[in-house]
Amino acid sequence: MTVDLSVDLGRGLVLPNPVGVASGTFGYGFEFEELVDIQRLGAIWTKGTTLLPRAGNPPPRVAETTGGMLNSIGLHNPGVEHVATVYAPRFARWRVPVVVNVAAGSLEEYVAVVRRLDGVPGVAGIELNISCPNIAHGLDFGRDPAAAARVVEATRAVTGLCLVVKLSPNVTGIGDVARAVCAAGADAVSLVNTYVGMKIHLGVRRPVLPRAGTGGLSGPAIKPLALAAVAAVRAAVRVPVVGIGGIASAADALEFFVAGADAVQVGTASFADCGAALTVLDGCAEYAARHRLERLTELRWTPPADRAEPSAAPTSVR
Amino acid sequence: MSTAAAPLSDLGRAADERGEVTAVEHLGGGLMELAVRLPHIAAAARPGEFAQLRCGPPPLPLLRRPFSVAWVEGDICGFVFEPVGEGTRRLAALHPGDELPALGPLGVGFTVPAGGRVLCVAGGLGCAPFPLAARRAREAGCAEVLVLHGAATAARLYPAGRFSRGDAGIRVVEATDDGSRGHRGYVTELVATELAGVAAVWACGPNPMLGALAAVLGDAGAALPPVVEVSLEAPMGCGFGTCLGCALPVRDGGGRFALCCREGPVMAVAAVDWEALALLPPAHVA
Repeated sequence: MTVDLSVDLGRGLVLPNPVGVASGTFGYGFEFEELVDIQRLGAIWTKGTTLLPRAGNPPPRVAETTGGMLNSIGLHNPGVEHVATVYAPRFARWRVPVVVNVAAGSLEEYVAVVRRLDGVPGVAGIELNISCPNIAHGLDFGRDPAAAARVVEATRAVTGLCLVVKLSPNVTGIGDVARAVCAAGADAVSLVNTYVGMKIHLGVRRPVLPRAGTGGLSGPAIKPLALAAVAAVRAAVRVPVVGIGGIASAADALEFFVAGADAVQVGTASFADCGAALTVLDGCAEYAARHRLERLTELRWTPPADRAEPSAAPTSVR
Repeated sequence: MSTAAAPLSDLGRAADERGEVTAVEHLGGGLMELAVRLPHIAAAARPGEFAQLRCGPPPLPLLRRPFSVAWVEGDICGFVFEPVGEGTRRLAALHPGDELPALGPLGVGFTVPAGGRVLCVAGGLGCAPFPLAARRAREAGCAEVLVLHGAATAARLYPAGRFSRGDAGIRVVEATDDGSRGHRGYVTELVATELAGVAAVWACGPNPMLGALAAVLGDAGAALPPVVEVSLEAPMGCGFGTCLGCALPVRDGGGRFALCCREGPVMAVAAVDWEALALLPPAHVA
């Protein structure tokens, strides 16, 4: 029995396998290209790209926590023109699909960035970042289903590329946002972006990160939260779901398939182990072969019929 | 940003290695030295470059930690550290025979002049890159290397003999904040009188110390040596330029930040925006 690892995210974007690398943890692939075989990846989801270059936030920008990492990078990126003219021709020579993550502070900026990337050889798809916690207005679109839908409608109108919407977990009802963006034309959704968090330095009695002191939490610490979010979104929409959040091993990734994912992204784990995503991929393929699965989505758990949408509430009462 | 003016480190020279600890040594005053069999890094490391050490089995601590390659003997690399955080405490608990995965060498190191005198200014743990750097300078033909090494107390000084390793062409002058050994005061106070005929000044230490050095050198005016370089620190996530965490303010316009791990850790003193750096909160120990 052969395992079919490919994943069809819609509109012509077919990933050769379900294990990609998450936005903000892999740059545009060039650093890792020198360290590991990036061509074996299912996809590279790039650093959040804005209309104009951004210098990013003042340091310190990162802080390690127990089993996690806070970041407040502030979308430090070279801008879409540089990505379209300098980076994309290099992407076009790669076997691995490159999905460009697009971030913006206004509806007009989202539209301008997506329009610039449409039809550019080397750009396999768009991941709409409506959920950056580290810039002013970054979360505004991701928190409100109606606002999120407006971004998707407007960008849908200017591109034929596969549009994957990256959802924020910093919301009351992530399933509602998922439903809204799918109704507006999203081909797939990816989740979760980072959770808003804070680290305090008791010695100086202030947060480690500057300004408001908050950053986005990633890493193994968020995996249970991310799994719950993926299950909630799986119950809410029919489109492909790309699971993200604390994946560092094949077992972690397989748990996301059980929760309802069609593909996954390995994020923070790549910082500590450049080959983490490849190890995850090999482990998933080995698991599928050993358990005689034709597709990893066979792992999917079906929630009880009387509760279509899993809640985050505990099932036992003490 | 990718439009960086400064040259970036060559990641093609870095490799993942499964190191083996060969020695763990307490140097007194909290300083420790670790010897690790890392053939690739030992062969490839240049002065001032660093390695990312996997201090414990994931997920704790989650990230690797950057350490200067302090010295190289055969296929063994030395690292100097203080057990002050989650990662370094785990390093301190290692024993000979333990595995220690490492990625390196990383970063941009010091520019080694072909001759003349080299002045190394080391504050506290900033001693770390100088045993290797001093030796490479001597091998390149430098007549003398003078290491000015300061620390809070005598016990916290890196042993002078470990800089020179028997080479009479490497001299060490010490300073302590409390006067328990050598000059009483900051090591930066010793710099101005030693600049004559110097081909390169290399400095490593806490960022405020490097800022003080930049001020001293600014006052020296026209007498500046051709190479004046500082090894900076910043909280670092990946060590190879993708997390964009280790930003440092630099002077080349537009409010750009340089990445400590790719454009540094060693940078020309003139490239750093010392005023902006001084305004930042101190780099908290992770």
